[in-house]
Amino acid sequence: MFLALRDLRSSWRRFILVGLVIALVAMLSTVLVGLTNGLVKDGTSGLRALPLTHLAFQPGAESVFSRSTLDRTALDAWKAQPGAEASPLGASFVNAASVGKGPNVDLALFGVAEDSFLVERPEGRAALQGEPGLVLAEEVRDEGVEAGDRFRFAGSDLALPVLGFTFAGSYGHVPVGYVSLEQWQKITFGGSGSDRFSAVALKLPSGSDTTAVNKAAGTELKTKEQAYSGSPGYSAETATMSLIRFFLLVISALIVGAFFTVLIVQRTNQIGLLRAMGASGGYIMRDGLGQMTIVQVASTAAGGSFGVAIILLLENGPVPISLSMPGVLAACAYLVLAGLVGSFVSIRRISKIEPSVALSAGQV
Amino acid sequence: MSAKGDTPAIELRQVDSTVPDGPGRRTILDGVDLSVAPGELLAITGPSGSGKSTLLAIAGLMRRVDGGEVLLEGRATVELRDRARTALRRDRIAFVYQAANLLPTLTAREQLELIGHIRREPRREARLRADRLLADVGLAERAGQLPGEMSGGERQRVAIARALMSRPAVILADEPTASLDPNLAMEINELLAARAREQGPATVIVTHDEISAGLADRRLHLLEGSLRTSPEVALRP
Repeated sequence: MFLALRDLRSSWRRFILVGLVIALVAMLSTVLVGLTNGLVKDGTSGLRALPLTHLAFQPGAESVFSRSTLDRTALDAWKAQPGAEASPLGASFVNAASVGKGPNVDLALFGVAEDSFLVERPEGRAALQGEPGLVLAEEVRDEGVEAGDRFRFAGSDLALPVLGFTFAGSYGHVPVGYVSLEQWQKITFGGSGSDRFSAVALKLPSGSDTTAVNKAAGTELKTKEQAYSGSPGYSAETATMSLIRFFLLVISALIVGAFFTVLIVQRTNQIGLLRAMGASGGYIMRDGLGQMTIVQVASTAAGGSFGVAIILLLENGPVPISLSMPGVLAACAYLVLAGLVGSFVSIRRISKIEPSVALSAGQV
Repeated sequence: MSAKGDTPAIELRQVDSTVPDGPGRRTILDGVDLSVAPGELLAITGPSGSGKSTLLAIAGLMRRVDGGEVLLEGRATVELRDRARTALRRDRIAFVYQAANLLPTLTAREQLELIGHIRREPRREARLRADRLLADVGLAERAGQLPGEMSGGERQRVAIARALMSRPAVILADEPTASLDPNLAMEINELLAARAREQGPATVIVTHDEISAGLADRRLHLLEGSLRTSPEVALRP
């Protein structure tokens, strides 16, 4: 890159415009990574927070809790799996109407058994074993709900007090509330409840062969990560964000390719001169690609850093945005790669420039 | 034929060259024979459009012929692939152009170091040699200057030093003094002739300039696609 480095040193102004555009694309791409991550977290943090590795759903449920209803047969089958911890999990979306002056809130209501491995903290177990009540996500407190407030659930006569708040996260962009499995069954199925639940939460040792048990239980086994796709809006949101990021990659490749094409046309005489000097096509291409790589890496790093700063600035605000450095680095790497693909397509022009151009060239 | 040595540095045998011209082709060179010995300084004159630049491009392995053979130090080149021709240009041929054709973002020293880089010479060795050649052409103090900071004469002297950097067998010069005033032109011509004779490459100068041509060992005139011996044969000073 003898020529590339010296060209950048002397003619850096020429690269400012394309560098600025690449930096803006990188910044936008980074912010989109943050938004995607934020949306995913907002949609699944409640599920992420649970110490499970797998979920067993009713076949055909596609990880959607509302499409899945299981009974004790499935649970007992999974409990027979060696080394596995299995616990029933009820999950549904409810509207909780305040009995009194407090606000009404929408909740992703998780019903868990008092002795479940899902409840790790002793105070959580105590809350679920004592007087029936709700343990809510911290976010609900921000809406003005206080401990002791009572809520009645739509479609049920049951009214429960708020026992306290915890980091419960959200599911489907709705704050999570915990109740005992028994209360969840009463709210969901009415009357005295029913011994049914949405899914079996599992903690399986890695490498477990679950085929036989899954078949015996009559369930559809999903990993925790696979189960995220059942969160309302998850697939649409991630697909939309991925599509926007894909378009940004294409735009980046086109911008860099177009810039590089113009640069090659402008340098036709110079390239002809280099060929006349005996520089091979490979030498000139390596030099050009090296130069564009430097411009792209520097611009992407600058834009990506600015994007990270924006994410950090917004992270604790109302916008669902969250920094994921691996995601940002991957997005930036893809941008550089896309730019190189764009450069590579246009760089083939170099091989068509004849050395005899140098004889009529007008360099200084 | 050769003035010095047994094998010509560059030799053209019955070279034909044509260019597209409407539905047919126009002949530029018609059965041209040329032989230049190592260390010989040959001037080729001729009117505009007579094919001087085409002849130079063919001798410099930049352009393929329609017929005939081009031999570089006895080696036939017409059938060689582009990669091999490029390697021969890199190692055995150098050009001096009408405009100095320096790269605008490189200093005088870097113009020469670039040749070393293309030839994969050790960096330190290339730098020492570049400085020595710049000193030889009287530009030791201007080694760090960009082309835009130098005069026309200085730029052309850098171009001559650059041509000598690869220790070529052949230097091909295309009107090297056309854009300079007469005093500078004489200075550059003398420099080119002196360096060529001292360092031994065959040098072919294509020129309109009688003074430049007068410094050559031999003169040829290109007219209507054929090379003829020029009536005014200059004696070496």
